[in-house]
Amino acid sequence: MDCPRWWLDCLKDEATHCEASRRNGLAITLREALAVLAFGVAVALAANRLSPRGLTLTRNYFPGGNARPAPPAAATASRQNTNHPATPAPAELLAAQLKEHGLQLIDGSTAAQLFHDPRGQQGKIVFIDARDEAHYRAGHVPGAYEFDPYHPEKYFPTALPPCRAAEQIVVYCHGGDCDDSESAALLLRDVGIALNKLLIYGGGITEWTSNHWPVETDERNSGQPAPPAR
Amino acid sequence: MNANSSLRSRVAADLFAVIARWLLGAAFVYLGLNKALHPVEFLKLMRQYDMVESSLGLNSAAAILPWFEVFCGLLLLAGVAVRGTALMLVLMLVPFTILVFRRALAIQSALAIPFCMIKFDCGCGTGEVFICRKLLENLFFIGLSLWLLPGHGRRFCFRHTL
Repeated sequence: MDCPRWWLDCLKDEATHCEASRRNGLAITLREALAVLAFGVAVALAANRLSPRGLTLTRNYFPGGNARPAPPAAATASRQNTNHPATPAPAELLAAQLKEHGLQLIDGSTAAQLFHDPRGQQGKIVFIDARDEAHYRAGHVPGAYEFDPYHPEKYFPTALPPCRAAEQIVVYCHGGDCDDSESAALLLRDVGIALNKLLIYGGGITEWTSNHWPVETDERNSGQPAPPAR
Repeated sequence: MNANSSLRSRVAADLFAVIARWLLGAAFVYLGLNKALHPVEFLKLMRQYDMVESSLGLNSAAAILPWFEVFCGLLLLAGVAVRGTALMLVLMLVPFTILVFRRALAIQSALAIPFCMIKFDCGCGTGEVFICRKLLENLFFIGLSLWLLPGHGRRFCFRHTL
């Protein structure tokens, strides 16, 4: 192997330099690490602040509680189907968790019943989709309002008036271990929506679509049905 | 002859260190950006570790860590403060690897499946991955960072030592 001449020269220079720096190696490394940490945190905070998707540090993104980790069932074994973001948690556990906040859990048949209830046409029953925009556009319960609880300020103007007028509000997210519907319901509670109007559909869109119930894509009331599942 | 072969091995080690630095830097920029561009998803994943109780602490960690990783990655690519950056990476990677391992153990006990069959999104910026692969990947990154700590990878550095 023939090395370039300049590379070999560099190595000789480096040997002298290394010997000098090795003596103070640990102190230099620690000092550098502290500088990297301080400057890096400042840069990170600035980047988060400037990013349109940045987090608001003082906001409580999980009104249901930060210390509630997703149960291990949220993980998937390789032999299981990993297409869905979560697998269902026991309904009783979920109902008890929701009850702590005064929220009521409903099952798929109740959600479907409410969907077909004629009061829905009069705006007395409202569906709220608590997922992000991309998932909402990919397919939601027809007529459901978009309300991403992580960006509530964006959705309050459109979702709040119908919620105020409604007698019952069905809030859903992916289903299973997803608790974004709970977060969305608690945000609505915080702006004055009565708790007894808020119903959490625990099965979420995963159960809704697996039952082949109607789904529309794109914007609310677009009338575009989701393509049939393969 | 001996001096020549010693020089060659030093060149090879030097070349390896440069490649290690670039590889580590590129990986951290990629993984950091994956998280930084989807902060809410990263926040939800951070929550699963149950490390921080307060909203401010959780939000700060989720806001700072991804960009900090990008920052460290860029420093390694440019060759600035390489040893300090490598030390920071070790200090980040070791606790994260332990946390991921503990989370995987909890999942294993809940699902009663072989350890290496566990697949979940650990919030590492790569989506759902098999746990054994993730642990090996982290150990590889820790190894590279440790390799850079004594001062290797000095070639093509903008400012190796601050």
